[in-house]
Amino acid sequence: MFNKENKLEKFKDAETIIGPSIKVKGNFQGKGDIVIEGTIEGSVKTEASLYVGDEARVVANVEASDATIRGQLQGNIKSSGYLAIGENAKIVGDIQYKDISIEKGAIINGQLLYIDSSKNSKNKSSEEVES
Amino acid sequence: MYVYIYDDYLNKSRYNKAINRMEIRLTDLNLNGKILRLSGIKNIKKAIENEIKLGAKTIVAVGNNQTVNKIIGAILSADLYADFQKQTLLGIIPIGDDNSIANSFGIKNEETACNIILARRIEKIDLGIANNHYFLNNAKIPSQETVLKISNYEIQTQKKGEIKIINLLSDKDEKKDTLKSSPHDGLLDIVIKNSKRDISFINTKKLLIESKHKLLIDSVVEIDTPVEIGVIKNAISVIVGKERIFI
Repeated sequence: MFNKENKLEKFKDAETIIGPSIKVKGNFQGKGDIVIEGTIEGSVKTEASLYVGDEARVVANVEASDATIRGQLQGNIKSSGYLAIGENAKIVGDIQYKDISIEKGAIINGQLLYIDSSKNSKNKSSEEVES
Repeated sequence: MYVYIYDDYLNKSRYNKAINRMEIRLTDLNLNGKILRLSGIKNIKKAIENEIKLGAKTIVAVGNNQTVNKIIGAILSADLYADFQKQTLLGIIPIGDDNSIANSFGIKNEETACNIILARRIEKIDLGIANNHYFLNNAKIPSQETVLKISNYEIQTQKKGEIKIINLLSDKDEKKDTLKSSPHDGLLDIVIKNSKRDISFINTKKLLIESKHKLLIDSVVEIDTPVEIGVIKNAISVIVGKERIFI
């Protein structure tokens, strides 16, 4: 199970919060923590942490330091820090990660690529993964 | 030198008591100065320019949000705005209703306002600008059928609610939704509240609003959309109270 240290909880005091009834279209870029509970189409990039809630629908490539994915995400994920994937997550897209944890029940349809900071990216496992 | 600018509506007899209390308090504190009445001024911009030329150190808006906005608009469009920024402060004495701006600065009534002017606690404050209208607190518009365009993305919602573009927090309830809002950061805080649990929060330097609704500025002026909104950092030095509601 995830706990607070594993960052599956929503960040407090996030710089940006996209609420459940909001739809964002385009390329969203920020420096602080981003919480998504609504819909995003395009791309999302932050130097800090990203949280995608249970009810969120994201059709976008996302890039963040740490990331927590609990909802639906169609697009590629790049996390240079810690990536936590929750039990209800449905991800269609490739994932580049440094540290990862995946809860039982999560569905991932894509490649998992380990980011090795000492070498170039290395393919650790590929194709469909269902945990 | 102090210059007090009284709004038109203060001519009504129901404000006499408050005006008397204020004038007595100002005399007690040795803060007397020149009094200008908006009802007797044809061109407020020229009148303010003249006072800055004469060396006004503090211009005090006596009235409500609308008074403050009129005076700020005149100051910013004045040819001597650079001189105002260097040498002049803005004070506020709230009288009557619609005084959220004074409330933001911790100024509760005319008597505390006089004490605050004497204490001269100064803060540089950003100003919002919506088309050619300035605002200190916020601009509001219904969220349904409103689109916000911000640099590379756009935001919309089909739910009924309210979009608030905040420069300066106006009350403590608002503070709960926007803990990080600051009038010194050169950013506008956009809060979209469609229900208690459905709140979005984004900050930006500028945005474009397209809507079928009108935008309400500082609860007093309504303007048609589309509206371009921006922020001017540290536009004005204001005398504020200890109990101001921002950091």
